[in-house]
Amino acid sequence: MLKSRVSRRTVLRGIGATMALPWLESLHALADTPSAAMFPKRFGVMFMGCGINEDYWSASGNGADMVLSKTLQPLESIKGKINVIDGLFNKAATGQGIHPAQTGQLLTGMHISKGAIVHSGISVDQMLASKLGEDTSQQSIVLACDQPMTGYHETNFSLAYSSHVSWQTPDSPVPVEVYPSHAWDNLFDNRGSERNISILDRMQDSAKALTTKISSTDASKLDEYLTSVREVEKRVEGTRKTKGTAEDNAKAMNKPMFSMDRPANGLPEDLREHSKLMCDIVAIAFQTDKTRVASLIISRDLSAMYYPFLNVKDGHHSASHNNNSDGYERISRFHVDQFAYLAKKLDSMPEGDGTVLDHSCLMFLSNMWIGRKHDNSRLPLVLAGGLGGTLETGRSINFVGQAEEKRKMCSLYLSLMDRYGMKLEQFGDAQERLEQL
Amino acid sequence: MMLGEKWDKVIGYVRGNPGVFSKSEYSLNRMKFSIRPLFLSVVCLGTAAAANNPLLEKQFNENVKPFVTKYCVGCHSGKTPAASLDLKTYSTMDAVLADYPRWVIVHDKLEAKAMPPKPMPAPPAADEKKVITWIAEVRADELRRHAGDPGPVLLRRLSNNEYNYTVRDLTGVDMQPAKEFPSDPSNQAGFDNSGESLTMSSALMKKYLQAARDVASKMVLVPDGIEFAPYPMLSETDRDKFPIQRIVNFYFSQPTDFADYFQAAWKYKYRAALGKPNATLASTAADAKVSAKYLPMVWQLIEEPAAKEKTEVGPIAKLQGMWRDLPAPSAAQPGAVRAKCEEMRNFVVRVRHDTAMQFATPKVKGLPTAAQPLQNWKLKQFAAHHRESDPAALRNDTDPAPVVPEKLPKKPGLHQDASPYWAAVVDKSRATDEDLVVPAAERSKFETSFSRLANVFPDAFFISERGRYWPDDSEDRGRLLSAGYHNVMGYYRDDTALMELILDAKGQQELNRLWEQFEYISNYTARTFIQFYLNQSGAVYGKGAESGSALPVDHEVTDQAIIEKIRDVWVAKSLEKTSSDAFVTLPGDVPPRERFRGPNDPMAPQAMREHFDGINATIRNLEKMRIASEPKHLDALLKFAAKAYRRPLTKSEKDDMLAYYQKLREKDSLNETDAMRESLVSVLMSPKFLYRIDLLDGLADARTGSGLQNVAFATAGVHRLSAYALASRLSYFLWSSMPDDELLRHAASGDLVRPDVLLAQTRRMMKDDRVSAFATEFTGNWLSFRQFETFNSVDKDRFPSFTNDLREAMFQEPIHFVQDLIANNGNALDMLYGKYTFVNPVLAKHYGMPEIQAADGAKVTANTWIKVDDANNYERGGLLPMAVFLTNSSPGLRTSPVKRGFWVVHKLLGESIPPPPAVVPELPHDEAKMDLPLREVLAQHRANPVCAGCHARFDVFGLALEGYGPIGEARKNDLAGHPVDNSATFPGGDQGSGLDGVETFIRNHRQKDFIDGLARNMVAYALNRSPQLSDEGLVDRMKLNLAAKGYKFDTLIETIVTSPQFLNKRSSGAPAKSAPVTPSGAVARLNQPLQPNHKQELQ
Repeated sequence: MLKSRVSRRTVLRGIGATMALPWLESLHALADTPSAAMFPKRFGVMFMGCGINEDYWSASGNGADMVLSKTLQPLESIKGKINVIDGLFNKAATGQGIHPAQTGQLLTGMHISKGAIVHSGISVDQMLASKLGEDTSQQSIVLACDQPMTGYHETNFSLAYSSHVSWQTPDSPVPVEVYPSHAWDNLFDNRGSERNISILDRMQDSAKALTTKISSTDASKLDEYLTSVREVEKRVEGTRKTKGTAEDNAKAMNKPMFSMDRPANGLPEDLREHSKLMCDIVAIAFQTDKTRVASLIISRDLSAMYYPFLNVKDGHHSASHNNNSDGYERISRFHVDQFAYLAKKLDSMPEGDGTVLDHSCLMFLSNMWIGRKHDNSRLPLVLAGGLGGTLETGRSINFVGQAEEKRKMCSLYLSLMDRYGMKLEQFGDAQERLEQL
Repeated sequence: MMLGEKWDKVIGYVRGNPGVFSKSEYSLNRMKFSIRPLFLSVVCLGTAAAANNPLLEKQFNENVKPFVTKYCVGCHSGKTPAASLDLKTYSTMDAVLADYPRWVIVHDKLEAKAMPPKPMPAPPAADEKKVITWIAEVRADELRRHAGDPGPVLLRRLSNNEYNYTVRDLTGVDMQPAKEFPSDPSNQAGFDNSGESLTMSSALMKKYLQAARDVASKMVLVPDGIEFAPYPMLSETDRDKFPIQRIVNFYFSQPTDFADYFQAAWKYKYRAALGKPNATLASTAADAKVSAKYLPMVWQLIEEPAAKEKTEVGPIAKLQGMWRDLPAPSAAQPGAVRAKCEEMRNFVVRVRHDTAMQFATPKVKGLPTAAQPLQNWKLKQFAAHHRESDPAALRNDTDPAPVVPEKLPKKPGLHQDASPYWAAVVDKSRATDEDLVVPAAERSKFETSFSRLANVFPDAFFISERGRYWPDDSEDRGRLLSAGYHNVMGYYRDDTALMELILDAKGQQELNRLWEQFEYISNYTARTFIQFYLNQSGAVYGKGAESGSALPVDHEVTDQAIIEKIRDVWVAKSLEKTSSDAFVTLPGDVPPRERFRGPNDPMAPQAMREHFDGINATIRNLEKMRIASEPKHLDALLKFAAKAYRRPLTKSEKDDMLAYYQKLREKDSLNETDAMRESLVSVLMSPKFLYRIDLLDGLADARTGSGLQNVAFATAGVHRLSAYALASRLSYFLWSSMPDDELLRHAASGDLVRPDVLLAQTRRMMKDDRVSAFATEFTGNWLSFRQFETFNSVDKDRFPSFTNDLREAMFQEPIHFVQDLIANNGNALDMLYGKYTFVNPVLAKHYGMPEIQAADGAKVTANTWIKVDDANNYERGGLLPMAVFLTNSSPGLRTSPVKRGFWVVHKLLGESIPPPPAVVPELPHDEAKMDLPLREVLAQHRANPVCAGCHARFDVFGLALEGYGPIGEARKNDLAGHPVDNSATFPGGDQGSGLDGVETFIRNHRQKDFIDGLARNMVAYALNRSPQLSDEGLVDRMKLNLAAKGYKFDTLIETIVTSPQFLNKRSSGAPAKSAPVTPSGAVARLNQPLQPNHKQELQ
């Protein structure tokens, strides 16, 4: 009997395609039961600005007995795969002022700088991307439905802190992509490598033409150049994706697969459509392994977004100053809805014995708990996905009332990064992992 | 020339090519690699000439070959020939020519009667002499026939350093894209600028691609072309930062201090007494570096004709009084005039601060008071009235004293107008200003005086930043050029007074251009409007100050229709009827605050219209500008490519480049910026940029060809370089970078090949600052300190003064020294015997020299370098005692007299020393822990004859320099406390000590070697290849010219650039029809790594 572990790379090499294929179950027969450890782990962050309605945000109990509050209701059908964690916070985000001072370090844990020069740290998603991104054509995707704002807050912190959560280096946030069509093109057009091949082609032609116009010894030296160009081009070609292979192969295997068309140019008018498109893009990116790290801002800090479809007449930020209103509860629930949509979508994509969600960790969070008080002494936080069995799910964990050192967001980040094989000694303001996780 | 002297030259030449072979022993393996270039060049020599000299050929066959067969081949042949030298293989004269250096050894040994060795019988003296003479004649003959042969100068890519310098000159920014490239290897001669050692690999190609992208990322489009920023211009914040910094730098570099003008006026008033009786206001302004446009205005006001003065009142009278009180030059204490001018200035500034016009935003019921259109109206008023005085600031003397408020009101909240707060601040200041009190009866006269003062002295020349409480600047510092909005970034230009009063037409044009570029690069008007639209435009519907509007259907936010729609809504709001209760407080407001209820300011509608119409006009204009500028960008691209290729583009190259750009735009849908960036990348990756391709013109004359086609290459042989190729060769020789515009103009006209023009250009280039690259690259590689910037063998605990700054200063010292020699055509021997050197503050401290005082009171910074003429008083002067060389040769915790001596003898004097035997015990590495001084420990070198054979030649130089410690510090005791003994017995028996001893010895015995080494190394550097036999004539000429011209340094350079080797190129002919695509075997050998690399010192 043929027993061979078929690795993902074997599949790729054999087929000659360079796009990772969704797990093809026919190959399953040739291998041992594939363990979850064989599948890549993904990480996603979804952000809501200015906090939630604290009266309707809670979870108690575990597993099938978990009781979710009104705002968390959209997660009911997958509550076995989530963790609702309460009471964590970022010390560096407190006591510095409101809004940008509470957001700039949400995913970094570092102290941020005032004035014209922005400075934070490397965010947890980008930290993971630096490792996980080595194996994918795009290191990460950083998306938003809300345009960034420029300028300064009255606390003299730049509004760049309010507009971004992903930081690639301490000095520069990753610019957010707001246009769904651009996000799509970045993933599937391989612009970067296409540009390089174009240049290298041109250089080859140029050098070949030159070779006939110089002396023989010079021509031999120029050969070094030609050879080098050719070698680099071969390598770049090797990582290019060919379009449509995934869909063709899936069809050939008669397997259902989530597919979508390229989104139309421009910005969707309706936030509901915009948000759905962005979630779909994250889903297809994870499914096709174009990237394993994503962050998505639905509404940024200090957002001015409108929700006429929720019958709320105030803008997002204004409404948050009245956050214990029903209107703001509807806004919060809308955001959780988007999170649930993405999680369920990933859960509908089979992968080995489980689903893409089972091999991922999605994180939903906001920069405040109570918007009208700008209280960020604890933060709303939900995790979805079991990270290939390394993260127990179906729990509600409460850290409220614990000592400050025991409820650091950065401890959570360290614990999560461990499960991706990235064991750091320190992240942000934490060196210890989060207990109970 | 006596044969002996000739042989001195040969031996010297052989020694000048280290590694060729050693005096005592040699290994065939080492020789194989090291003489390979020689092999190639000699092959060229052999094949280029028609036939060998028939007389010499005859003598070979009749005398030399039989002699060798009879007396040498017995031992020197077979499977294991003696000393690995198989003399049986030299059956023809060609074979001898092909391997000539080995025959120099044959000559050497015969002449010294070392071969044949006893007890072998000695051959007959006459026969032996014939062989010895023949070998010498061959050399002389080859020199005669091939002198001036340009030799094999291989196609070579730019070295990393050349790449950095070239990108600097190409873009105007010193961005150092090759900073992280792997080090370039050196060739045989020790330089990294030849095709012998510079190769290309796929790893390096990837780095070039990344570097090209880095350079392209710094490109920014401006209305009339392209420019480069010092940092990538990819994000919005970058695109703001770059143009803003330029505007603000421009502002602050203008002369706007009134005190400077008062002082200049004083100099004009007393021009006769100050020795400039014919000075004019204009010339005085130029000397004082103030505005020639503004000085007369100031002069007019303060130096009014005497009659009018009596009727002056108010601040002008007071100012004129202060002016008249300025002492005459004879009576003036130093600094007194300046101090008084500053008092005058302070007076004017205070009065103007207190009488500046104040404005508030027009109020509209229901709109936030600091809404953008209203705020901008306020800013516009301020901008238009900097030269006016507020009559409300003045108090009649009959009025009661004003009530000075105890506390200032609270600062305004968000979206509220800052004017009430500022008004309170101003009121407080006015209340205490006695100069604002005027006699009631003469009120109008005084108002006129204040007006006239304001007209000349604005309350501000420019506004460089605004916080939310502007004009109050106590908070929110650093928001450059900001309009002072809350949250949303916006900019507002206010430099009216600067433009009107200070700047001449050229300055105004420049400032306008900078603001235009700011808009063009950052698109800030559109951006601000979009942010306003999304975050604040909803305020007009009563939704709150921070509320936006829904995205328009099927329209861009900045479409004209959308802007006009918003405008109309806001104008309508400002026209609404309101109640006449100005302010109310609502019961729900806790704490209570006043809400504006009307009537709306009658200027508000105009404010709205102007605001939105202005935005629309700017955006539409920008659209047009972008379209109009695309052709200019293409022009700029072609110009860039021509500069990069170091010659004009051919028509087909231009067409091809434009076609590529069009393809990027149309087929690949790139926007203009990205398409330009890709085009730049393709230029920077092109072999025409990366490689120095020496184009050869028509066979006859470089002037007749176009210089663009490599016409002559197809014919093998020696050809003149085209004028463009010559320009490149000259600029890479002297500047390690591309030719500048002037040089290219001479190339275009073709007159660069004329000796007079060539020399004139050479001399111009030697005086240019860019010649520091020659000082760095040539000297750095010749004397092996090029990598010193990363030298880290010093124990910083033991030597805490060895900071990065000191290391960098040490590195720079010889570079400044040599650059000064070149620029001033100084004496080349100063390198050995000069009593001066160059230091900056940290190096001066290291050498124990006094603190630096810069000329004319200028500020001394870390980058201030001065010449110290009496460096010999501090044990310095010339190259020998420079800390960089002494440190570079020290292994950290002690000196190494062996290494130092080796450096002196091998590098400075060009002598070749073989490596030590494999089994030599290590010296202790910490001097502090040694019982005996180093000198004693090294005594073995002298006692043991096996060691002494080589060490006697160089140790002593290091021992004489023991007066300098491990980081070159002057010392009397070593680290273990032993007193330093720097006495020396030099080779040949001369005694001496210290630096003086070394210098004296060199002057008496080895000066020729130094000059020879300098000349020879410069030839290798200039020609981009290892030197060969046929260069001896050039080296001789250099030395002769140098001596004839009193050792003026530039003579060496001028002799090289006018030499046939420099002006010509040897072509190997056209490539074969079916040119192999992979490197052929012979060429493959060219690319094998050479060893040893001269950047490594022998241990």
